[in-house]
Amino acid sequence: MSIIFEAIVYLAVGSAYWWWAQNLTIFGLAPNLIFAAALCSAILAGPVKGVAWGFFLGLYADMLGSDMFGGYALTYTLMAYGVYIIKRHFDMDGLFSQLVASLALSWLSILFYQGLVISFSRPGHLDLRIFLAEPFLNALAVPVMFQVFYRLKRGLGIL
Amino acid sequence: MSREKDAANYAVVFFTAVSILLLLFPVSKIAHTVRIAASYSLYPSLHYGARYTHYVRNVPDNFISLLETDQENRALKDKVRELEVRLQNASAAAGENERLTKEMGLSRSLPWGGVWSRIVNKTPADWYGSFYIDRGSESGVTVNDTVLGMEQGKAGLAGRVLEVYPKFSKVLLLTNGAASAVCAIGPEGLEALVEGKGTWMLKMNYVPEEAVLTEGTEVVTSPGGLLFPPGVSVGKVKKVYPRESSMNFVTADVVPSVNVNTLKEVFVLRRSLPEELLGPRQAEKK
Repeated sequence: MSIIFEAIVYLAVGSAYWWWAQNLTIFGLAPNLIFAAALCSAILAGPVKGVAWGFFLGLYADMLGSDMFGGYALTYTLMAYGVYIIKRHFDMDGLFSQLVASLALSWLSILFYQGLVISFSRPGHLDLRIFLAEPFLNALAVPVMFQVFYRLKRGLGIL
Repeated sequence: MSREKDAANYAVVFFTAVSILLLLFPVSKIAHTVRIAASYSLYPSLHYGARYTHYVRNVPDNFISLLETDQENRALKDKVRELEVRLQNASAAAGENERLTKEMGLSRSLPWGGVWSRIVNKTPADWYGSFYIDRGSESGVTVNDTVLGMEQGKAGLAGRVLEVYPKFSKVLLLTNGAASAVCAIGPEGLEALVEGKGTWMLKMNYVPEEAVLTEGTEVVTSPGGLLFPPGVSVGKVKKVYPRESSMNFVTADVVPSVNVNTLKEVFVLRRSLPEELLGPRQAEKK
């Protein structure tokens, strides 16, 4: 049963991000809810499920984009694994650690993805505005998303 | 713990490999199939999202609109309050207009010429002593001009002009302790002196003892008094005091014809007074 709820949550996250990017952008900026969901699921879920969530959320992000297919999937997969490693040493449930993690991982993800773009697709063009601003928006979104996922985990047994 | 770690390692290797394959072979059949499958799996969320987006598409705009409406609502409430105040002022002005119209009608019926004036300042410390009116020498007001008030459609003596300035004047009320007027009592025309007491009541002195003085007897200005035109209502007798043995006249309390508390406009009579009754400046002008 939980797999159905997980699928619903997964689609809801993707749709929410898509809708937000359509309607609620401020100066063309929006928090990357897919990234936030990948990070939160990596924190809350077990290692396999966390990595799987990262992969599938990355696929969703790839599907929304027109660039190379699989770049975000690889990025979020590795990020989820990194979080699995980190959370064995640090308490990731706290607000401060989530803020720091989301900031650091946002920048790492962007850089890593740009590296993939350069490697597999074409010369990358990193949008400096997104590179500088999006991690902060993500840092705001992650604690909220974490609370939502935490309650869904307790209520529906997902993750 | 080791099993979990192994599972995590396997998972990350597996998903990383899949991702790299997708990246490496974007146009290969497998990658294409995965992409198509993923798209078919995920597009419904976009499809239905787009289909029902009209329910939520305008949420930001509606939210802003709601805020603007709220601001507009507040502004309108302020405006309504302001309009209510204006309405109250308008009704007061309408009342004043009605009253003035009535009084103007009366002024036309008065045998004297003059100018209507509004009371602009009453001093609480000198409530029954004096007040200021908004007409002065520029309007032809001179010292000792008679000031009439209107009470229940009838003109009554309020006082006289004490000081004149270009745009306003000070009126000495008859109720002032320093004010007095020679009056005639009843049809006989017996004269007496009405004096102010500094209260709302007037005192009438030097009433000849043969005068028939009862409560309610009307007192008007006498032709013998030069300061005020004759026949102007001063008030009505309220109480008659018995003659004292040492004096040969009686006294009485008189209720003034004009109630200072409700007076808002006055009529200043323009009269050709003798020079000795004019102030020095007016006498010089003449």
